[in-house]
Amino acid sequence: MFAYNLRIALLSLKRNWILSSVIVGGIALGIAVSTMFSATRHSLARDPIPSKSGILYYVRMDSWDPQRPYPGTDPTLPPTQITYRDMVGIMKSDIPVRQSGMFKASLYVFPDPKVGRPAQTLVRLCFSDFFPMFDVPFKYGSGWDKRADEGPEPVVVLSEEENELLFGGADSVGRTVRIEDRDFRVTGVLDHWRPAVKFYDITQAAVQGVEPVFMPFNFVRPMKIRTGGNSDGWGPSPSVPGFEGVLAGESCWIQMWVELPTTGKRQAYEDFLKAYVLEQKKAGRFPRPLNNRLTRVGEWMKEQKVVPPQLTAMMVVSLLFLAVCALNLMGLLLGKFLARAPEIGVRRALGARRLDIFIQHVVECELVGVVGGLIGMALALGGLAWINNFMKTTFVARHDLFRMDGTMAMLSLGLSLLAGLVAGAYPAWRVCRIAPAIHLKVQ
Amino acid sequence: MELGPIVRAMGRNKMRIGLIVFEVALTLAIVVNCITMIAEARTQMVHPSGFVDDDIVQVRSIPFDKAFREDGYVDNSCREDVAALRAIPGVKAVTNTYFLPWAGGGSSTELRPAGSRGEMLRTQIYNADEGTVDTLGVHVVEGRNFTREDVERDHVRLRELSKGPRERGADNRPKERFTQDVVITRALGRLAFGDGPVLGKMLEDSDGDLYQVIGTIDNFYNPYGWPIHEYAVFYPNTSSSYDFGAQYLVRAEPGQAGAVRAALETRLLAVNNGRNVKVQSLEDVKRGYFAAQQVVVTMMSGVIVLLVLVTSLGIVGLTSFSVAERTRQIGTRRALGARKIDILAQFLLENWLTTSMGLVLGVALAYALNVGLVTAVSAAKLSGLLVVSGVLLLWMAGLLATLAPALRAARISPAIATRNV
Repeated sequence: MFAYNLRIALLSLKRNWILSSVIVGGIALGIAVSTMFSATRHSLARDPIPSKSGILYYVRMDSWDPQRPYPGTDPTLPPTQITYRDMVGIMKSDIPVRQSGMFKASLYVFPDPKVGRPAQTLVRLCFSDFFPMFDVPFKYGSGWDKRADEGPEPVVVLSEEENELLFGGADSVGRTVRIEDRDFRVTGVLDHWRPAVKFYDITQAAVQGVEPVFMPFNFVRPMKIRTGGNSDGWGPSPSVPGFEGVLAGESCWIQMWVELPTTGKRQAYEDFLKAYVLEQKKAGRFPRPLNNRLTRVGEWMKEQKVVPPQLTAMMVVSLLFLAVCALNLMGLLLGKFLARAPEIGVRRALGARRLDIFIQHVVECELVGVVGGLIGMALALGGLAWINNFMKTTFVARHDLFRMDGTMAMLSLGLSLLAGLVAGAYPAWRVCRIAPAIHLKVQ
Repeated sequence: MELGPIVRAMGRNKMRIGLIVFEVALTLAIVVNCITMIAEARTQMVHPSGFVDDDIVQVRSIPFDKAFREDGYVDNSCREDVAALRAIPGVKAVTNTYFLPWAGGGSSTELRPAGSRGEMLRTQIYNADEGTVDTLGVHVVEGRNFTREDVERDHVRLRELSKGPRERGADNRPKERFTQDVVITRALGRLAFGDGPVLGKMLEDSDGDLYQVIGTIDNFYNPYGWPIHEYAVFYPNTSSSYDFGAQYLVRAEPGQAGAVRAALETRLLAVNNGRNVKVQSLEDVKRGYFAAQQVVVTMMSGVIVLLVLVTSLGIVGLTSFSVAERTRQIGTRRALGARKIDILAQFLLENWLTTSMGLVLGVALAYALNVGLVTAVSAAKLSGLLVVSGVLLLWMAGLLATLAPALRAARISPAIATRNV
């Protein structure tokens, strides 16, 4: 019976192809626009690390100026990053099961001269816990161990792209990379790690993709590495000149993450931070009121407005657009079905039940919905490719920022079916209530 | 034309009329809110910087040769670069500064009038040389620009200062105050000193170091993360080091930016190959800064066009059905003496009434949606003029969409009334 209904529906669509393309095209446009806008927003808004987003915390402490709060939209918030000396101080805690301070820098990587010119490359300085803490996938090898943190030992982890560039994609574990004036041994190569949002550092360029190179944090001092991200300072300049002053001063430039798997751990760590700040206050630092923050990934992304509000507005608009398309579809189907009244009259007279007529027409509506939805999804993929390309030629060095994932594909298909049903139910009900006699008479 | 029959006919087709009313209403609500968002994004994009954006090219030199770690070498290389850049045909002016317009950020500090106990004022701060003003195309409105001597002298003084630890007093501030000459934007001058004279006035930073104003410039607008877009301090210094590289801004003669840009990298690598050179026109920098807004504008514009198209097609379709349904009645009316123009007017008037009902509902919906967007995502408020324009646009679209089916109706022959379909 379903196959029969489907065949009738196809025949009906073929009969008037101009009208049919307007009907299908309208719903395709609605699905294309709503899917594209929703997927754009979802790419940034989705949980970047669902397995651990509940137990990873971003650490902030208010070491800012006594005269006025940290500048920003909300004066009750502490600085977005912490100072080097405070990172060293709180990393002494053994409460977090994993923890890492981190920052990014621009350093020169010297490839084999046959491969290419030296290139300034983004490097993330972090501790060994970084990789297990963020569930970082490895293609070859692994991260480094705690001993390498302490040394620090000259080891690096490369992204897939950087490994492609330097070693032609071969298993490079154990091989050497020259960075600035030192040789580093490769311990691991990442395996396609491309979160849309670089959630571990959203203080700047949150959608720029992960850094090509990772190296032990403690090279910061011997190599005098300055941050390539934001650095916020206040008050008198550090009393020590040069690079040591950067380490000793009140400049905030480090991102700090801890993994606290239980509420007990979280409470203990909160107490630890409080004690740390109170201790520092005795030494004349932390002149502002106690204001420590432990923020989960999702909340931190909201606070930093990783999803621009315009994207949310655009998503709302696109869903309303789909609603207009559905209304439009309803009108066109109504007209189309009613024009067919004599035919339905004959079928009814020949014994078709109202339910049969109703189902037959709903099937036709859903066929329109699904066909329109599939075309719409294809259009949405094209649209996303266009935005990605535009972004790449303007400001993001990547082409895979906006993606349609499984959730979005399901949403898109669901919306198509829903639109078909909402638009089709009334017209189908109207035609199944047609009295056969009138139409037979006119014939 | 009598309204009575038309209104009664509409009453008999509540569903069809209702659909058009809702479609038109939603369309109006979406269109005017989209235009509001587009307009908001556009106002930022068309804000003038005060600089000759089209003619400026940014050049960054990022050294890897260890020789650059030496002060003498790096200074000398910077001089050679500037000379080489000036020698390129089509170049009007060159400056060595870390200031880059339209990057969405830069460097900032806090200052206040010297000796005051007032609030510290946050402002952008950049080094500059004697060519900065000409290269940007801004005007010195009071006082004077830096000279080469200013730049050379302060470069040596600042390097000395950064070397040794400074002796500190009990307040943890350096005992000896360092003074340098600065050029500031007029907006910062007004913020710090009101409408009075600015030349010769002193500003101080949180170290107590002093900045004496020797000139003011206008117009200056460089969007920053904090609301300090129009405030800037320039101090004389070269900007070239191993750690931070060197940056130059090159101003080309009008229309020459493309040619100049193409020549820059080779020219500089010929001067010194121990580095990478990156070249970018200011237009590209600006395009990058506004990329997100541009996406909003393009996508919203697309939605408006598609929406009006879909709604118009919907009206065409529904009116066509209604014409087809009433073929016999129309034939009868024609046979009873109605002219073609009467039939045309009947359909146009019916649709005009329907569209108008939709627009009345749409104005209400538009404001409701706007209130939602304002509270949820702090969108801009609707302007009355815009709503009126939206209403006019949809009236036009509605009439145009009705025209074809209505003309078809007018062509229906009276003979059809006599035929048994």
